[in-house]
Amino acid sequence: MKNTRTLGKYALVAGMSLLSLIPFYILLYLALNKPSRTLFNGLSLLPDFNFSNFSEAWESSRMGLATVNSLIITIGGAILIILAASSAGYAIVRYSNKFHQSVFNLLLICMMIPAIIITVPLYTLMKSIGGINTHWAMILLMASNGIPFSVFLYAGFIKVLPREIEESAIIDGCTPFTAFWRVTFHFLRPVTAAVVILQGLAIWNNYGQAVFFLQGQDMRTIPLAVSMFFQQYGAQWNLMAAAAVIGLAPAVVAFLVFQKYFVKGITAGAVKG
Amino acid sequence: MNLLRKLWNNLHLFMALPAILLFGLFFIYPLAQGIGISLTDSNGMSAPRFVGLQNFIDFFHDARAKKDVYNTVFFAIGSAPLLNLFGFLYALILDRPFKGKGFVRAVVYLPAVISPLIMGYVWYFILQPDRGFLYHLLQSLHLGTGGSDWLGNAHSALIVLVFINVWQFVGMTMIIYLAGLQSIPKELYEAGEIDGAGYIKSLWYITIPMVVQSIKINVVTNIIGSLSVFEVIIALTDGGPGYSTESLSIYILRMLYGSFTGYSTAVAMILFVMIIIPVFIFMRYINKKEFEM
Repeated sequence: MKNTRTLGKYALVAGMSLLSLIPFYILLYLALNKPSRTLFNGLSLLPDFNFSNFSEAWESSRMGLATVNSLIITIGGAILIILAASSAGYAIVRYSNKFHQSVFNLLLICMMIPAIIITVPLYTLMKSIGGINTHWAMILLMASNGIPFSVFLYAGFIKVLPREIEESAIIDGCTPFTAFWRVTFHFLRPVTAAVVILQGLAIWNNYGQAVFFLQGQDMRTIPLAVSMFFQQYGAQWNLMAAAAVIGLAPAVVAFLVFQKYFVKGITAGAVKG
Repeated sequence: MNLLRKLWNNLHLFMALPAILLFGLFFIYPLAQGIGISLTDSNGMSAPRFVGLQNFIDFFHDARAKKDVYNTVFFAIGSAPLLNLFGFLYALILDRPFKGKGFVRAVVYLPAVISPLIMGYVWYFILQPDRGFLYHLLQSLHLGTGGSDWLGNAHSALIVLVFINVWQFVGMTMIIYLAGLQSIPKELYEAGEIDGAGYIKSLWYITIPMVVQSIKINVVTNIIGSLSVFEVIIALTDGGPGYSTESLSIYILRMLYGSFTGYSTAVAMILFVMIIIPVFIFMRYINKKEFEM
């Protein structure tokens, strides 16, 4: 009885895993086939291992440049979010007043507004500050997108952090400002990890705004490069699949390396309470 | 000099400023402007004229907008409940200790970290008629491929889009539910057992009330995410055939390219209201429920 139950359970979780993995397998299979090969001759499940698709897709989609652009914007945006959101969370929780309270409530409401809604006036703004097709404006915009949720996470965490940790530093001659950067900020590591992961991914995968503000060929990020490539090579599936593999590889690798922090990060602050 | 010292000592009062300035400039200011633009016939070129609520009146007579509202609502009503149901079931299954638990969790979560656009392209390879993986599979197993143009017909395409969205993000809802499950003290279940509660009873009276926080987060993020969907649709059907699978977000973006900026902004405001209303109703309902417990 117990054995059948365990077997049934393993069959179930194996099914769940396969369901999530099969599309990735199909993608790899396509990416490794020679152009001449139709999709499935019979039921052969092994590809040709034709790695030249990758180099060709890498070259013609200019994925190298796109990766550099994605990295610059993601790293810049994440750093800016950490600095701005952590200090805002500190001020809002520790030095609460009417103004800070209303800022916090406004941010909570704005969490429900999808960024796409403000595209038109944002375009005018970007034009007037000369920010179209620039890294710096995209970094500022991405950081702004991430502010509400990140402030919410930091504030939630600082609320349950005992005041004593800064107070002793303040007694020793720190101002509240220096006490935060010298002491409190280090206790916020779990939230910082969560923010880096969640916001980093959101920036890395951003398409809706990148497509408007990074139209220049040399400014494309990875999602833009992949979608442009798909529009150009609509018939050559093995090249398209190789481009998609290159496009999703960094996120997969980052996820596998930082898996532990991912799960911790997502649950930090969010599910407490 | 004294003033500077005073400022330095009170710097903490200004610590929220960078975030406020950044968010104010790139979000609040454009949002306020957007409300203004939605009341004009702006086309991004010539000087806009004030037209009052004309754009909103036009919206209710716009056949394409009607179709897009239907598609968007269909997608959300399909996605949000299924994501929560399967996310919760997955969490219940993966909450129990067994060998390889961490691996399965990671695998189920993996699709959620990838751009929906790229994931949409992956499913495109699977679902294309005549060339796609599924077509070949059906052919090799001699199961007939008659009705295999899943993306060519609007209704089945919408169902396929819901399926892909649920497939991609079920890991996300699962992780949030898992966090909720792990915060439940074991003593509660022991007490329940002593009182003679079976699995179903303890699920209903202990587990579900204890994961209310997770339910809130998941339902709200799923409502917002599914009502503003566009990437996966762009990758799979590009809104076609015609505009039969277009979502409101895609319509908003397309009208920008067509320089109907006034109208597009008005539609954006309508989408915002469409998101706020269900979120608000849900939050009121769940908070009342919590109060009763």
